Amino acid sequence: MFEKIKLEDLSKENILAYGEFYKGELNSSSLEILSPLKEIAQTLNKKLILVSLIGSLENIKDWEEIKKSLADEVWFVINEELKDFREDLYTEVLVKIVKFSQPYGFFFPATKIGMSLAPRVAGALQVGLCAHVNNLEVKDNQIIMARPTYGENIIAKLISKSIPIMATISLGAFGIKYGEKEPSIKEIIFPEDFVWKSKLKIRRFAPSKKKPTKLSTAKVIVAGGRGLKNKETFQKLFELANLLGAEVGATRPVCYEGWVEEERMIGISGVTVRPKVYIGFGISGALQHTVGMENSEFIIAVNTDKEAPLVKIANLALIGDAGKILELLLKNLSK
Amino acid sequence: MEKIIVCIKGVPKPGSIKVDPETHTLKRESMELILNPNDRPALEMALRLKNTYNTEVVVISMGPPNVIPLLKYTYALGADQIILLSDRAFAGSDTLATSYVLAKAIEKLSPFSLVLMGLKSIDGETAQVPPETASLLGIPSLTNVKDLFMERGKWIAIREMDYGEEEIEVTPPIVASVSPLAFDYIRPPSLKRLLEVKTKEPLICQVKDLNLDPQRLGLQGSPTQVIEVFEKKIETKGLVLEGSPEELVEKLIEILKDKGLIKF
Repeated sequence: MFEKIKLEDLSKENILAYGEFYKGELNSSSLEILSPLKEIAQTLNKKLILVSLIGSLENIKDWEEIKKSLADEVWFVINEELKDFREDLYTEVLVKIVKFSQPYGFFFPATKIGMSLAPRVAGALQVGLCAHVNNLEVKDNQIIMARPTYGENIIAKLISKSIPIMATISLGAFGIKYGEKEPSIKEIIFPEDFVWKSKLKIRRFAPSKKKPTKLSTAKVIVAGGRGLKNKETFQKLFELANLLGAEVGATRPVCYEGWVEEERMIGISGVTVRPKVYIGFGISGALQHTVGMENSEFIIAVNTDKEAPLVKIANLALIGDAGKILELLLKNLSK
Repeated sequence: MEKIIVCIKGVPKPGSIKVDPETHTLKRESMELILNPNDRPALEMALRLKNTYNTEVVVISMGPPNVIPLLKYTYALGADQIILLSDRAFAGSDTLATSYVLAKAIEKLSPFSLVLMGLKSIDGETAQVPPETASLLGIPSLTNVKDLFMERGKWIAIREMDYGEEEIEVTPPIVASVSPLAFDYIRPPSLKRLLEVKTKEPLICQVKDLNLDPQRLGLQGSPTQVIEVFEKKIETKGLVLEGSPEELVEKLIEILKDKGLIKF
C-alpha cells in the first residue's frame, strides 16, 4: 500500500515524534507536539517524522489527520502483537528504530502512554529525558527546553547532552497546526528474527464510562481552588458551569483532596486551556496552575488575597471570599 | 512470594524550596523534607500485599541523611527493613542517574517480586523514575496501577489509561507506579512500632557498597542539565476591585453579560 523500508535503510538524524495510536485512533496530543517540533526541525534543517506502532492498518480511523499533519514522513510499524500498548515490546521496537535511524531528537506527548514509554526508551538507550516541556527553542544549534518546575513559580531551562535529545511535551501546550504537503508514509519492515514478544498480557479493557472532559477546547471555564474551602462549595461550580455553558476546571491541590476528578486539573500536571473567558474562584495562582491557563483571552480572579499571582495576571480581579461570591452569583443568576 | 521493595522520596515541604544559584539544583540539605505524598499509596499497597501474602517489605530511599526520619516513619507504618542510599556523589542526579542507582540497589536486594513507587514526586513531577528503573533492570513496568494481586504466580494489575482501565497479567518481578487515588483509606503508623523505631536505624549504602560506576552518578552522570532557573515575574495588568460581595457579584454579572455568557 505504501513504501516498505528496512530498518537499515531508514534515513538518519531526523527528529522523531511519537504518534500515539490506541485502538486505531491517533491521540491528538501527537499532532500537537508536531507544531513546535516542525519549527525546531526547520531551524536545524532536519526532517520531522511521526513514528507509530499499530496492530493493523484496517483499524486506522484518522487518515485525514495524518495526511494533513506537519510531519514530513510517517513511519509505521505494523504487527498484530502491537495491537495493545505493552511497554516492554513497544520499547524494544522503538529502541531498534533509534539504533538504526540515529535520530537527533525523539519526543513524546505527556500522555499516560507517553510517560510510561519514553522513560523506558531513554533508560534502554541510557540518554537524558526531560519531562513536561512546554517551550522549545534552538540557540546556537542546540535545543533548549523549558518547563515549570519544583511545583513553585520557577521555570527551568534544560538541555540534554546525549543524543537523541528526548522529552515528553505537556498536553495542550501547543495548538495543532496543519502542513502544506502530505507526508510520505512508510512501513518499517523488521527483520525476520525480531521477537514480537511481551511479558504483559492485557486480559480485559474497560473504556472510561465518563466522557472525557472538554476542558482543553472549552470556550468558557469556571475553575476552583482551595479558597473555596470545601468540596460542597466546589461542587457549586458545576451549577455555574451549567448556567454559563462552561466547563469546570480545578487546581492540583483540590484534585488531590478529592473534591473533583483529576481529569479536570489545569496546569503542568493537568491540561492546558485557552478559553475566551476563564473565571478562577479561590485560586491563588501557583505557576503549576497558571502555566495551564495564562493564555486565556479574558481572566477573572475571585480571591481574598490582593497579592495572589492570579489576581495579578487577571483582567478583572474581585477581592473577596470566593465561596460567598460564588453562592451569591448563583442566587442572582437563578432569580 | 519474594520480597516487595518500595522506593520513597523526601521532597521539600511546599514553600521551603531553595535553588542553588551555581549548580541550579535544589539545595536539599537545607530544606525541610516531607515524605512525597504520592508515595503513601505505594506504601499502603505494599503493606496490604504483605498482609495478604505474608511477605517482607523493604523500603529504600536515595537522598541526604535528613531522609532518615522519613524512612523510620515507613518502619512505623509496617516496613520490615529500611535502607538509605546516600552519598555525596549522588547529588545533582537526574532521572537517568537516579534510576541507575535505584536499579543497582534493587538488583542487590534480589530476589524480589515487586518494586512499588509513587506515581511521581511532587517536586520534580517527572513520573519517569519507575519505568526508567524498570528499563535499566530489564523487567516490565506498569504505571498508574490502582490494584494489584496475585493469581497462579502472576501479578494481575489494574492500571488507569487515558482511555479507560486495563487488567494486565504479568510474570514477576515488575516495577509498578501506584495511582495517587488507589486507596480511600491509608493507615496511620502503629503506636508500638513508633516506639520501636526510636532505636532503629536504616542501613546506609554508599557508592562503594553498590558497585556503582562513578561516571554514571550525580551531575556528571546526568545528561539533562538545567542551564537556567528563573522566577516568573508577574505584574498586575487588570482591574482590581474591592467591595461587598453584592457589589462584586453585580460587577461580575455585568461582565458576564458583556461577554455574552448570560442573556438577560
